[in-house]
Amino acid sequence: MRFICKVFLEGITNMKMLKILLILAALGMITMFAVMYSGVVNVAADEPHSKFVYWMLEETRENAIANASADIQVPDLSDPELLLTGGVDYGFMCVSCHLKPGQKESDMSVGLYPAPPNLAIEHQTHDEDSDRRKARNFWIIKHGIKASGMPAWGKTHDDKRIWAMVAFIERLPKLSPEEYQILTAMD
Amino acid sequence: MREYRFVRALLIGKKMKTLTKIALIIVPVVALSFSANAHDPKLHVKKNQKADCSKLDHSKMNMKDPVAMAMMKKCSQQAKKKRTTSQDKISQSKINTQHDNH
Repeated sequence: MRFICKVFLEGITNMKMLKILLILAALGMITMFAVMYSGVVNVAADEPHSKFVYWMLEETRENAIANASADIQVPDLSDPELLLTGGVDYGFMCVSCHLKPGQKESDMSVGLYPAPPNLAIEHQTHDEDSDRRKARNFWIIKHGIKASGMPAWGKTHDDKRIWAMVAFIERLPKLSPEEYQILTAMD
Repeated sequence: MREYRFVRALLIGKKMKTLTKIALIIVPVVALSFSANAHDPKLHVKKNQKADCSKLDHSKMNMKDPVAMAMMKKCSQQAKKKRTTSQDKISQSKINTQHDNH
C-alpha cells in the first residue's frame, strides 16, 4: 500500500514538474515572440551591444570558428608567389575594411559593427598557435561570418587563392607601406 | 456635378499617392548622394597602380625572406614588361617611319 502511495505521489510530483517545465517553455516562447515582433531591439550599427551581449556573441563566434577549423590542414605557405597572389587579392577585397600598413581607419572600419579587425597591426588573437591561427583565417575567409559584414569568399575563390591570402595576412603586420604597395600592385 | 467632384477628388488622391511614392524614392537617393560626398572621394578611387620599385634598397634586403623574394620577382617582372613594351614601341615607330618614306 505504501509502495503504491509512493509511486502515486512521485507520479504527481513528476506531472507537476512537467507542467512547470511546459509553462516555462511557453513563457519563454511568448517572450521571444514579443521581443521579435515588438521592434524594441535596436539593430542600428552605430549603437553598440551591451557588454554582456557582446561577450556572448564573441564567445559563440570564436568557439564556433575554433571548432569548425580544428581539422583544417595548413599547407606550406612559404612560397613567395603566394604573397604576390594574396597581396593583389587583399588589395582588392580586404583592405577597405581590414586596412593596410600606415592606415588607421577607413569608412568601412569605422562604420561596420562589430568593427573589422585591423590586420595591418599585430595584436592578441584567440589562437596563439601559428597553424591554428592560419587555419582560423582560412576558415573565416572561405566561409565568412554571419551578420558581421564578412563575406564568404569561398563561393567565388578556390582554396589555393584563399591560402595565398592567408599567407599574405600572416606577413602583413610586419610590412612597411612601401613593401605593401609593391606586393599589392597590379602587374 | 456630384459625380464630377467625386472623380476629381479621386484623381487628386491618386496624384498625391504618386507624388508620395516619387518623394519616397527621391528623398533617400538625394540624402544618400549627399552623404557620399561628405568625405574625401579619394578614399573611393580604385587604385590600379604599378609597383613603386624605386624605393627598394637591395642592401638592406634579406634575399632568403619570402617577402623580399616576392618583391624582387614583382619588380623584375614589371621591368621586363616595361622593356618589352618600349621595344615594341620603338619597332612600331620604325615601321611607321619606313611606311612614311615609301
